[in-house]
Parts: sequence; C-alpha cells; structure tokens
Amino acid sequence: MTRHIQRPSLSRRAVLRGGVAFGGAALLAQLGAGRAFAAEPEKPAELIVRAWGGSWVDALKAGVSDPFTAATGITIRHDLTEDNEIQPKIWAAAEQKRVPPIHINWDTTTNATKSALRGVAEDLSDLSNLAGTTDLAKPVGLEGYPIVNTYGYVYVLAYRPEAFPDGAPKSWKDLLDPKFKGRIALYNDGIGFHFPAQVAGGGKLEDIPANMDACWAFVEQMKAQEPLLGEDPDFTTWFQNGEIDAACTISTNAREARKNGVNIAWTVPEEGCKFDTDGLWIPVGLPENELYWAKQYINFALTKDAQQVWLDGLGLPGVVPGLTPPADLVDDASYPTKPADFEHLIRISAQVQVENESEWFAKFKAIMQG
Amino acid sequence: MNQSRAQRWVLGFFVLLALVMLSAPTVVVMGASVSAGRMIAFPPEGFSLQWYGKILAASDLRQAFGRTLVVALICTAVALPVGTLAGIALAKFRLRFAGAVQVYLLLPFTVPLIGSGIGMMLAFGKMGILGQLWPVGIACAVINLPFMIWAVTASAAALDPDLELAAANCGAGRVQTFLSVTLPAVTPGIITGSLLMFILAMNEFLVSLLLVDARIVTLPVQIYNSIRSIITPDLAAISVVFIVMAALAIALLDWLVGLDIFLKSK
Amino acid sequence: MRPSRAEYPYRWRLMDRLEAAADRLFPRRWSRWTGWLMLAPALLLVAVLLIGLVQIADASLHTLDRKTFRTSAAYSLDNYRAALDQGVYLAVLWRSVLGAAIVTLLTLLLAFPYGYVMVRTRSSNLRKLLLIALFLPFFIGQVVRAYGWLIILGNGGLVNDLLGLVGVPPQRLLFNYPAVLFGLVQYMLPFAVLMLAPALTAIPEETEAAAGSLGANWLRTLWHVVLPMARPGLVGAGLVVVSLTLTDFAMPAILGGGGQDFIANAIYDQFFRTSDQGLGAALTLLLVGIGSLVVGAVFTAFGAGTLAMGRART
Repeated sequence: MTRHIQRPSLSRRAVLRGGVAFGGAALLAQLGAGRAFAAEPEKPAELIVRAWGGSWVDALKAGVSDPFTAATGITIRHDLTEDNEIQPKIWAAAEQKRVPPIHINWDTTTNATKSALRGVAEDLSDLSNLAGTTDLAKPVGLEGYPIVNTYGYVYVLAYRPEAFPDGAPKSWKDLLDPKFKGRIALYNDGIGFHFPAQVAGGGKLEDIPANMDACWAFVEQMKAQEPLLGEDPDFTTWFQNGEIDAACTISTNAREARKNGVNIAWTVPEEGCKFDTDGLWIPVGLPENELYWAKQYINFALTKDAQQVWLDGLGLPGVVPGLTPPADLVDDASYPTKPADFEHLIRISAQVQVENESEWFAKFKAIMQG
Repeated sequence: MNQSRAQRWVLGFFVLLALVMLSAPTVVVMGASVSAGRMIAFPPEGFSLQWYGKILAASDLRQAFGRTLVVALICTAVALPVGTLAGIALAKFRLRFAGAVQVYLLLPFTVPLIGSGIGMMLAFGKMGILGQLWPVGIACAVINLPFMIWAVTASAAALDPDLELAAANCGAGRVQTFLSVTLPAVTPGIITGSLLMFILAMNEFLVSLLLVDARIVTLPVQIYNSIRSIITPDLAAISVVFIVMAALAIALLDWLVGLDIFLKSK
Repeated sequence: MRPSRAEYPYRWRLMDRLEAAADRLFPRRWSRWTGWLMLAPALLLVAVLLIGLVQIADASLHTLDRKTFRTSAAYSLDNYRAALDQGVYLAVLWRSVLGAAIVTLLTLLLAFPYGYVMVRTRSSNLRKLLLIALFLPFFIGQVVRAYGWLIILGNGGLVNDLLGLVGVPPQRLLFNYPAVLFGLVQYMLPFAVLMLAPALTAIPEETEAAAGSLGANWLRTLWHVVLPMARPGLVGAGLVVVSLTLTDFAMPAILGGGGQDFIANAIYDQFFRTSDQGLGAALTLLLVGIGSLVVGAVFTAFGAGTLAMGRART
C-alpha cells in the first residue's frame, strides 16, 4: 500500500518539542538507566529505517529519528522504498543469508505479519518500554512480539462536501447513487473496503472469512459504478483535480489533503470502517551490535514523548496511554480513543487477513478487471 | 524533392500530430516546475523558482545524481562494444540458428522489467555483489542491450560488403578493414545506440529499485519513491534540469559533429 | 600542418602488430566462426538475465503456503494451473496482446511520416527540430510523463478547458483503455522513429524520383516503392514496440485508473502485493513465452527486418 500525505505540515512547535525534549539524559533514562551503564555493544555509524515518504517520514524524523540521533549519536538514514517493494528484498536477503538492506521496517501490520510468519523478523519481547503500552501494541495471533504495533488508523469514507449537499453520506450504499458513476475511488486491491462491503451487502462480520458472498455482491454493485482504482497519491491527485467525489482511504491522507486546501471531509458510515495498525519490526541477519541498537530505536519509539510528536504529525491514535489528540481531531471518528469510539470500527485479526488476503484481492481484481 | 500539395498536407498533419504528442507532457512538466503552489498543476499557480532552490539545496539528490551518472557510464561502456560487435555480426554474417539467436537477444524486452529485476536480484544476491553500483550498471546494460544492437544493425545498410572486399584486396588486414571500413559505416548507429543506452540508464527505476539499497540509491529510484508518496513540483524541476542538460548536450553535439550524424554515415 | 614523416610508419607498425596478434589469437582458418565470436559477448551479457530467469522458473514450480508464507519444498505445476484457470489473467493477457498490436500499428503509422520528413526534408532546421523533439521526452521518466498526461487530459485539464470553450461538457478522457494505448503510443514513438530512420535513409531518393517521372502519383510511389523498401525498418521498429508494449507496467497503472491492467501489472501484484512469488514467476514465464512467440512469428513472417539489412544486399 502506498502511503501518502502531502508536504510536511508539522508545526514548528512540534518539531522543536521533539528536538528539545530529548536531551541525551532524558533518553538514557527512558532506555533504562541500568542498561545504559552496562557495557553497550559498539554503536554503528548509522541505522537504516524504511519509511513512507512525504510527511509520514517527516513525522517519524521529528518524533523518533532526530531525538534518537541526538541521544545516541547514531545517524538515521530513511529508506523510502515502498513497504511492498522492500519485502522481496528482505526475504531474498534472509533466504540467501545476507545482511538485510534495512535495520528497521515501518510496515503495515498485515505485511509485517507475513514476514513474521515466514520467520524473517526478530523477536522484540525484551523491549523494556513494552510494559507501558496498551493492548493495541501486541500483534494478534503471533508468538511474542515479532512486530510492535505503534498506532492505529481508520479507512474512512472521504468525500467532497459539494457533492453531498445533504451532509455526510450515512451509508456506504449512498455511493451507489447513479450520479457518482465514475466518481468513486477505491484502493487497487480493495483494501479497507472488503469488511464494510460485507456489512453493506447484508452479511455478517463473523462470517469472515468463511462466507463473504455479501461482500462480493456489494463489490459487484460498486463495479457498476465504474470506480477508479489507485493508491494514495492517485487519490489526492483525483480529489484535487475534481475527478472523484468520494474515496475509501486512510484518514491521514484525507486530513493532509484538507490541510493543503483541498475541500474534503470524512465520515464513518453506519456499516462501519476498517480499523488497522502499523508497526515496527527488525529483519533477521543483522550483526549483534546493529540488532541491539535497532531494538533501542523501536524501544524509543514507544516512549510517550516520541509517540506524541510522531503521531501529532500523522493525526493517529498511539499505543501508550495519555497522548493528547491534535486539536483538529478531538472527538473525530478517525481518532478513536474510548471504547465507544470503536463501536463502528471493524477490526479483523492480522492472521485472518494474511491467510485470506490474496484470495480477496484476486476476487476483487477479477470483479474489477472483468 | 517534388512533393505534391496533398502529400505535403498529409505528411504535415501527421508530423504536427506527432510533435504535439511528443512535446505536450514536456511543456506541462516545465510549466509545473515553476509553480508557486504545492502541487503539480498546469497552468502553474503563480511563478516561483522555489522548487529549483529546493532541489539544488538537497545534497541527497546531488549524490543520487552522481551515482546515476556512474551507473549510466558503466552501462554505456559495457553495452557499446558488446552491442556494436553483436550488431555487426548479425548484419554481416549468415549465422545458423539466427532466428533463435535473435529471439534470445530480445529477451531483455520480452521479459517484463519486474521479472528481470527479481531475477537479477536473486542472481546478484547469490553472487554476493549487491550493494555496489557496478552491478546496477550491468543490469541497465542487459535490459536495454537490444537498443544498442538494433541501432547498429539498422545503420548497417551503409555497410557495403564490396567495400570491405576492396579493402582486403588492397592488402588491408582484418583489423584494419574493421577499423577503417566496417566501423565508420555503422558510426551513426553506434552514436544513436550509445546515447539511448545512456539516457535510458539515467531514467531506469524498476530494476534498479530491486538492486540498490538506501546507501546507493540512484536518482530515478529516488524520484519513483517520492512519486509514490506525493507528486510535488520539485520532481518537475528535476525533470527540467534533466531536459536543460540534454539540450546542452545536444547543442554541443550539433556544434561538434552536426546532428545529421544520427541519420547519415560520414 | 603536414603530418610528420615518422607518424605513418608508427601507425603502420602498430597496425601490423594488431594484425599479427589477431592472426595468432584467431587464425584465419577459423574465420567462419568470426560471427559467433563477435556475438559471444552479447550472448554472455544476456545470460545474466537467463540466470535470473532460471531462478524465476524454479520459484514458479513451488506453491505458497499462506500459513507460513514459505514456499513448498515439492515441485508442482499448481501456479501455472492457477494462472490459466482464473479468467482474470486470461482477460488481462488478452488486453495486453490486443493493446500491443494496436499500439504497434498506431505507432508505426505516426513514426513513418515523422521519420520520412526527418530524413527527406531539405531544411536542416526542421530536421534538427524533429530530432530534438524526439530526444527530449526521454529525459522525463515514463512516470512523470504519465502524470503530465493526467494534467492535460483530466476532467479539469487543458483539453477539457478547450472543449468547454466550444460548449462541450467535460469528458472523461482518462482511466480507460484508449487512454492507456494513447500514453503507450506517445512513449513508443521516439523508439520507433529512431529504429525506422536508418532504413528510410537507405532508400535512394532517385528511386522515388524515378517512380514519379514514370507517372506514379505519390500514393502509388509510397505504396509500391517506399513502403516495401522501408520494410526492414518497419519490422525492426515494430518488434521493439510490440515487445516493450506487451511488458509495459507504468502506463496501464497510471493512465488506466486501476481497471485496465496489463499482464505486467498482474505480475507486479503477485510479487509485491500478495507476496505470491510463485504465481508471479509463473505469469512472468508465460509472458516471456508469449512475447518470444510473437517475436519469432514476426521474424518468420516478415524476415529479420533491420537485422538482415547488411546481408540483404550481398
């Protein structure tokens, strides 16, 4: 999946907070004082972190990478290769017993789970800061912590208010109105759309993955609307150029588009929206000392201060308690914090997703390419 | 050339159509590069050179550009002799299994780039040579080699076997015949081919993506990765810098040897 | 300045050395192998690709277990069966093949007059303009170029603005099959002209003039004289365009709006989205097979095109 938000829009204040709040001393305290005084493995000159471009990487840099460098002296290099496209490189490296091309992968939980199942992810159970995280941090259906989830996000229904004069669409079915023919966008692989479609088509979430006829029936109906299929950058271009009126996309992208002057709003319709997580993990095959420092980086990303700055940039709820939502997202459906907020969000375990994703994907493609 | 009016109209129509098609995206990209706004747009929103300032200040872009030059030079240096010899061989000699050879030599085009990239990543990984620039140069030479070969064979029309025989009859040895008769005859093809190899290597992203890592990322890969996140006018500005350099190179070539070299042998 | 007396003997001596070395390294009696010797480096270079293809062939014979995301140890043809059983791949394959045929025809139709004028024009300025217009688009990568088209052909783009001036409501010009083909023709045009131009250069202008003086009008001259003589160039250019179009990835992805995938897009999805390298590998090999068949068929039907030009005259 491509990730996209537009130009950096982190406030100067947030960046300063990120840089100043973590002097070396503060970080050492967070890494655990006892550890810091024990014999540390040799520091590598740099660590390579794969990240999504645009303000995804800017947010990570401000919240995690820069303060980490300030505290440890280890430079962080960001590799902006797509998460999908780095995966075969990491797998091939593990297969051929080579050193992997990156130290830390910032990845979707689904993709990371595939790597974890394949056994190419290091176990992170011994990170000291895991103790202070919420349940969201723990990957579902996997032994230990081959991945640490770092925040959640919602695949909202984003729309142009001009196209919906009566207010936000209440249901995904509203998109079947003939006037939206050719003016709806979905992800290429249908990601984010399958589960609400299952509900909108009259099916039950409990039937996933065994019986998804309802989902496919709804996708068939949607196909008649001739939706555009693309990735995040396409969505923004399309919204900006007035090509589409509605899209199923990650709230972060919609929020950034709005910040850049595109008139766009978003909602969680009655059928609900897919909720998912992203995480950090470390590929196998690193030298001992680099593995140690890569773990320290992830441990650092789980501190409250790092999360606050990083996720302010993304506008997403984190995995440590007590974070303050950005002012524009207080009580927003895309920033769930209380149990009630989750009522309309659909969460399916990563395990079910990875085992069936290819099939859903093929089915979605078969309908859309037919 | 005596052209009837109808002929001139028909040719003119097609040429104009082709010119518009070829140039329209270039014009739009050039316009978008001076936009004051944050998104690629045409007509541009206001005028600003901010994006040029931004790319000139970015040291990572400069480094990536330097690496790309190295890759393109390696690619051209490898493909030029290899493709020239192969092109002459195919044009001059009646080889057995020539059909099979040609299907084989076209593999770089019939294998989709993703397949080539994955395959070479696995092969180079086994050899333990990933993480360096030269394998990327080799890879670019491989995937574009047919262009070099074909540019040479296409210009081999000017290759007159009688002339070669004459040279031999006058006592010229094989090496001398090759250097002073065969090679000059295919020079336009060699120049066209090398230029293509160089340009295509400067722009290759899909195969390179699988062969580089963050430490040796090349410019097209970096551009491709940034496009995946957001298309901002700085990418248009990079393209324009490319175009300007290309224009300078073409002007230099014209001044030195004349552009007609692409079309006619000396 | 007159070259110095010593220079000639020196050059001759060098040449003699080279000839002697050549004779020793590659005696004249081996000369029937000269062609293969000259071909050998190219065969070896492409072998790099072949090594990769062997890896891919191996991957295509193992299926993916989605419980462990590892591939089976046992060999099987399941991936090929999956590729051929699912209608979607056949549909996408047909779309690619048909697209390659249409794009090739249209590209040649545009490339021929362009190359002809470029070669024949008396005005060296026009010739330069045409050459430069041919080379400049190369410097904007395929992806950025496709985004250029999004701006030109979009709902609020230049073309629709112009149509609006004459009262035509905005048309959806993008995200359909014709848009993909259009983008591909534009992308392939420079390649085709460059492959075609040398063949056109080789047609003596006098031949055309002769046909004209014998009373043939220009269309007849074109049909009976120029086109047949340009055939090697057309075949060469056509082969380049057909094989590159068949395997293209970027144009369908960007201009197709996601609903106009070519087979390379399906391969991309398997390798990068669903992590099913085995199926991706199987599709890759199927595509290579089809591409090679097409190329072989063209060779058989039309001759080797530009590749045989030198020989054709012997």
